[in-house]
Amino acid sequence: MLELRAITAGYDRRAPAVRDASLTVAPGEAVGLLGPSGCGKSTLARVAALLHRPDAGTLLLDGTPVRRWRHRAPREKRTAFGVVFQQPRLSADPRLRLTDLIAEPLRATGRREAVPERVAELAGTVGLTPDLLTRRPHEVSDGQLQRACLARALVLRPRWLICDEMTAMLDASTTAALVAVVEDYRASTGAGLLAVGHDQTLLHRWCDRTVHWDTVTSAPTGAARPQPKRMSRP
Amino acid sequence: MADGTVEKANPAEPAAAPTAWRSHGTARRSTHTLRLRVSAALVAVTVLAVLLVPPLVQLDQQAVDLAAKLEPPGWAHPFGTDDVGRDLLLRCVYGLRVSLLVGVVAALTATVIGTAVGATAGALGGWADRAVMRLVDTLASVPHLLLGVFIVAMFRPGVWPVVVSVGLTHWLSTARIVRAEVLSLRSRPHIDAAVSGGASRWRVTVRHLLPGVLPQAGLAAVLMVPHAMWHESALSFLGLGLPAHTASLGTLIQSARGSLLAGQWWPTLFPGLFLIIPTLALAGLAGVWRERISPRRRSELML
Amino acid sequence: MTERPPVLSVRGLSVRFLLPGGRRIAAVTDAHFDVAPGECLALIGESGCGKSVLASALLGLLPANAQTAGRALLGDLDLLTADERTLARTVRGRRIGLVPQSPAAHLTPVRTIRSQLEETVAELRGVRGRAALREAAEQAAERAAFPPDHLDRHPHELSGGLAQRAATALALVGGAPLLLADEPTTGLDRDLVDRTVDELRRHVDADGDRALLMITHDLAAAERVADRVAVMYAGRIVELADAQAFFGAQGPRHPYSRGLLEALPDRAFTPIPGLPPELGDLPDGCAFAPRCERTTGACTTLPLLTGSVACHHPVPAVTSEDIRA
Repeated sequence: MLELRAITAGYDRRAPAVRDASLTVAPGEAVGLLGPSGCGKSTLARVAALLHRPDAGTLLLDGTPVRRWRHRAPREKRTAFGVVFQQPRLSADPRLRLTDLIAEPLRATGRREAVPERVAELAGTVGLTPDLLTRRPHEVSDGQLQRACLARALVLRPRWLICDEMTAMLDASTTAALVAVVEDYRASTGAGLLAVGHDQTLLHRWCDRTVHWDTVTSAPTGAARPQPKRMSRP
Repeated sequence: MADGTVEKANPAEPAAAPTAWRSHGTARRSTHTLRLRVSAALVAVTVLAVLLVPPLVQLDQQAVDLAAKLEPPGWAHPFGTDDVGRDLLLRCVYGLRVSLLVGVVAALTATVIGTAVGATAGALGGWADRAVMRLVDTLASVPHLLLGVFIVAMFRPGVWPVVVSVGLTHWLSTARIVRAEVLSLRSRPHIDAAVSGGASRWRVTVRHLLPGVLPQAGLAAVLMVPHAMWHESALSFLGLGLPAHTASLGTLIQSARGSLLAGQWWPTLFPGLFLIIPTLALAGLAGVWRERISPRRRSELML
Repeated sequence: MTERPPVLSVRGLSVRFLLPGGRRIAAVTDAHFDVAPGECLALIGESGCGKSVLASALLGLLPANAQTAGRALLGDLDLLTADERTLARTVRGRRIGLVPQSPAAHLTPVRTIRSQLEETVAELRGVRGRAALREAAEQAAERAAFPPDHLDRHPHELSGGLAQRAATALALVGGAPLLLADEPTTGLDRDLVDRTVDELRRHVDADGDRALLMITHDLAAAERVADRVAVMYAGRIVELADAQAFFGAQGPRHPYSRGLLEALPDRAFTPIPGLPPELGDLPDGCAFAPRCERTTGACTTLPLLTGSVACHHPVPAVTSEDIRA
């Protein structure tokens, strides 16, 4: 169970991007969070993935409140989440070959010996050819890079997937392919999913349940913040 | 609508099509290449001269020949002689050798210190970052030369005190550059992805943040070399750096100051040129490098 | 409409990139299409298929390692052979208005919308004098439905939709006969996408002389705005069809276009198997053959764009529709 209770978070305490947001994802459930761009839903996704410390509120992971975030969070809690972001160009280290990109979480957690087998297996799953695996991010297209980023998110077999606008930059066919990969993974492992996006048609088709941003936060966010659009963060 | 015209034009085209290729924008590239070549050649000549002349040329730069003092440039002495008859060309090469050595070693020291401090501050963030950067600000508020003079004064004159003095006063700007780069990298999603992938703080810093800032730090190091050379010359010129008998560009200019007033221009001009030309060449190389690592150029090759 | 000369006429446009090591990337190959006055042509395809390169070629903004062939006639000017001076002084802004991909990055962050509009008006229309400039800038804003009370704001104080309108206003100032929109809706919400493309459409409809070339991977946006659709795959235009037929009951005729439409979440939501080929290593025959379920022996030769589709075995056209297209 992943429970966000009355989360307030942001990059400036005086003008939080998220005010008093609550959301629950049951194990194995796919929840779509629908909202306009710049409403703060990406920040909430980062909080859910233990990547951003909220200013107030509680995050319950299987009933236990989370008290530590980012590096301070215990490794097994951090790696229980697989995260995919909107812009593959920014979410891939530009110096790493795709194979190293996918293998990085395995190396970071000391499972070096599993690299060849796991990378080959995942490359097949997300549809990357061996030739593409030897390239660096600037030598592949956005769609191919996002496939690699999804493979990286799956490599540690997370129990939760957080997809923040995963397909916003992609064409229809790649979108359908990546959603199919996520759904296959969930079907075989029973992982839960929080998919954040602005495309209603897509989220309705993809998720068991979609919630609108306005029902998640109690405060009317649009009016609460002085600037209509945050430029700092995708 | 307009399909008809396409249909007509098409069947004839493909056979003849990919023949007349036109290139675009070649002019800009050639000036780049020219700048790169000139700078690289000048740096190469400087380095070779400094490395090869002393072992190969069996002449003593300290050989005093009072009979030939203050001779203008000529066949025997291409750069003329100084006020005790020493050959200026040879003195300049030896001087450049000392200055370049001090410059390179001091720049490396400064870059290593600066990168370590900047990366640590940037990676830790929070109060540690604030404390370190206030310390940097405090040190930066003292003029470099003053601090350098203070450090040199604690030691006996020689090469190493100067290196220490320049190295310890010049890491501040590198630290600032590296910290800013680390901060901007740190907010990128790929760092979030690494954290989520279980990477420790150490691993994120060493594997993801540092390699990202190394090109910038390297660029800062190259630009630091001329800066350090000038600093060394300034200290020597003030009589605080190297002992007067050791040829360095600063001591050469300093000791020739008197003869300049008497109309003898060569003892000051040539060491000056030896200082300016390698500086410009290094700056030119650094400029080419900066364009190489800028994201705009990288994207140029992308589709 | 057919009697009037097209605004833009592209004939055999090809772009190659020369990479270090002698590799050649075939980014665009042999593109043929026209854009008529009052028409909107949507160029669709997945990322990396060469559609943005085509836009850069039309604007003369290709990097130095690019080579071009063919012609792209804007009136009687060939955009591919024109020199930089001509392009800068008479084409960009004056004869082609560019609606950018991310308006927030396209606008100067430190200046107000008003000052940017006034500068553009002065530059492109030669308006002089403070009062005249002010009025011209306000008119320009009005044409793009940009609210006049927001003119004195800086770009970061605008919402995504208003920033898009400001960028559109700038694109419209020069009265360019061709509007070129490069992924104008990436990252926008659905209603904002709809509003943005509706506004672009309105500018094309307002005076029948203007044409819109919209480059996008957003099929829903293309369906909403386009008269005709050009589908690009691996650097080639594989289908050029009437939008109504393409998105309507008849559907696309090229297997790739069909696959692309079927991948939409409100249709079958099934991806096309496999990956697009490398532009540096294209097969001699049909580039789509390895992913195509209708592949036959004929696919080892290159299909030509005949009628509206470049395929050896297209989905048969519904007769009456086809004649109209």
